[in-house]
Amino acid sequence: MWEQIAAIFSVGLFQNTIRNATPVILAALGGLFTEHAGIMNIGMEGMILTGAFVAVAFSFTFASAPMGVLLAVLVGILIGLFFALFVVKLKSDEFIIGMTLNTFASGLTIFLLRNVFGQTGTWATKAIKGLPAVDIPLLEDIPFIGPILSGHSIFVYISWILVFVVWVFLYRTPYGFWMRASGEHPEALETAGVDPVKMKVLASVLCGIFCGFAGAHLSLGYLNCFTEGMSASRGFIAFACVVFGMANPPKVFGAALLFGFLQALGLRLQSVGVPSDLTAAVPYLATVLMLVYIVASSENRKKRRAKKETKLEVEAENV
Amino acid sequence: MKILKKIDTKYIATLVFSIVVALLIGAVLMAVTGFSPIKGYSAMISGALGNPRLIGNTLEKAMTLCLLGLATAVGAKGGLFNVGGEGQLFFGALAATMTGLWLSDLPAVIVTAVALISAVVVGGFYAWIPAVLKVKIGVSEVITTIMLNTVAIKICTYLVNGPWNSPLKSLTKGTDYLPETLRFTKLITASNLSTGFIGGAVVAFLIWYIMKMTSVGLEMKVTGENYRFAKFAGLKSDKIMIWSMVASGAICGLVGMLLIYGYQGRMTDSVSNEFYFDGMLVAMIMNYNPLGIIIMSVFFAILSTGATMMDLTVGISAQIYDIIFSVIIFLMAAQKGISTWVDHKRLQQKAKAKARKEIDANVGTDSSNI
Repeated sequence: MWEQIAAIFSVGLFQNTIRNATPVILAALGGLFTEHAGIMNIGMEGMILTGAFVAVAFSFTFASAPMGVLLAVLVGILIGLFFALFVVKLKSDEFIIGMTLNTFASGLTIFLLRNVFGQTGTWATKAIKGLPAVDIPLLEDIPFIGPILSGHSIFVYISWILVFVVWVFLYRTPYGFWMRASGEHPEALETAGVDPVKMKVLASVLCGIFCGFAGAHLSLGYLNCFTEGMSASRGFIAFACVVFGMANPPKVFGAALLFGFLQALGLRLQSVGVPSDLTAAVPYLATVLMLVYIVASSENRKKRRAKKETKLEVEAENV
Repeated sequence: MKILKKIDTKYIATLVFSIVVALLIGAVLMAVTGFSPIKGYSAMISGALGNPRLIGNTLEKAMTLCLLGLATAVGAKGGLFNVGGEGQLFFGALAATMTGLWLSDLPAVIVTAVALISAVVVGGFYAWIPAVLKVKIGVSEVITTIMLNTVAIKICTYLVNGPWNSPLKSLTKGTDYLPETLRFTKLITASNLSTGFIGGAVVAFLIWYIMKMTSVGLEMKVTGENYRFAKFAGLKSDKIMIWSMVASGAICGLVGMLLIYGYQGRMTDSVSNEFYFDGMLVAMIMNYNPLGIIIMSVFFAILSTGATMMDLTVGISAQIYDIIFSVIIFLMAAQKGISTWVDHKRLQQKAKAKARKEIDANVGTDSSNI
């Protein structure tokens, strides 16, 4: 019994947690911007998928991983602008545009994969150059923690730094302040002389860039291949993490790690006879429950505050 | 004549324009990747309508798209976005299959009736959960339905490949096949088209009738368009919202049953390949207009089955269908946005001109006073 548990909670479990969580962390950090700017962005799925494809395609063409990442980011900017054009400028329904973006990305990547590169299903050759893994000196020598934290693909560490950078951007710079205002009080922001439309476009472009990172990490981080439908609803999970973490970078980071952990645990539990299909359903169910909890508790808080205020008012009147 | 008057010519012009441009973009994509667009599109048309069998498949696909599109429309008219139709469809299909298998000794009529009820109830129940969460607590139904989709598909995959997997060895995993007596009779031999099509058509007509011709439909519309107004007008908006979502889920469950009893014959983990999302996009293109959805699903069914055949014969990937589909939506969204933007600008200019005139007039009177 104890041996089995020890076998499940091994170094590999935590390594996989980090591996699974990283693309979600990157995409969710992008989703933070749009969420704060007041855009419901469910198009992240398509953005990640496109990023993954572009990264592989150009890593293959130029035989260089950095070129793949660079192009993935450039395409991410274009998608962000495209998304903003519809959602912000033309005021289309963000839900419809997001869903359509996902369908479009899924169709276009498979079409190009099959008809331009002549591959079906998975595309993996040696010519696709991957991103380097980073060994952290000193840290890697610590038993147990060392192998968990060290030796990952470079974007894992970049994503950790970005959590901090995004937090500073959102809460300690004027741009972050304006971006949050563009979602909460666009009229107030306009009165203050900043164009909320510009901030929303910026948020959308930043989201495109981060999803480009997520896609590039997904395809070039470990396996150096592209698979049809590779994003595998990570965009939706990232969206769930943003909601889950109440659009606060460190909390969103924690939510993404939790998802990664559940995913990794599911695969491990398969060895004890727990079916992986059922464990794979757990994160999604957990999101629904968490959402219910968040919304219900915030409603409660509002009600309590309202009660308190009316009480104070009544007291004030009595005095 | 009355119906003809109601048709929005501007909308139809946009639609036709978008479709033509999307097909042209598809042609460009084919040409760029080294295929002849004429060959591609002719393969698509002959692949969808070339012989009776293919026409049958196309009609079956049209029915599926149409019912799922109507399911989206029913939810959307009531004010809730049902993105979870895929999961409801999976559970409906599973329920119908398992009741069929468990009760296979009873007379076929009874079994079919029970299977129908179970599919509808299960599908409806699975839509009821997010509806109640939205109406009573305020959790966004878009997110919950997306999440519940995956939950349903994973659970079905587990059951179909695990405990309820067929003991007979076959190439792909799935439940046992339903006995022939239970399956719907084919309308065209060897095609996917069965008597289920008639049932589907009746349901589609009923939905159109209820939404357009009855007070229930009007109440749904009012609730969906303006929740507060509906509430002040004395409608039971919460109830209407929940029930329109349940109806949407029930239709998805029914489609699941029609797929199994119509041509698939057993439940597998690939009973639906994101069919619901296609239906949803059709509904979005047609602005949730029931009649429009019915007509447009035939067009998209031709594209869809044609694209699959084109993939097999010419080698152009069937995903061109997804691309054409989404380009149409983008173009229509763009047109809508641009026209409202232009209208807005025009109104603004008019208001400015009017204000200027007033100022001029005021200045005139002011100077006379001095």
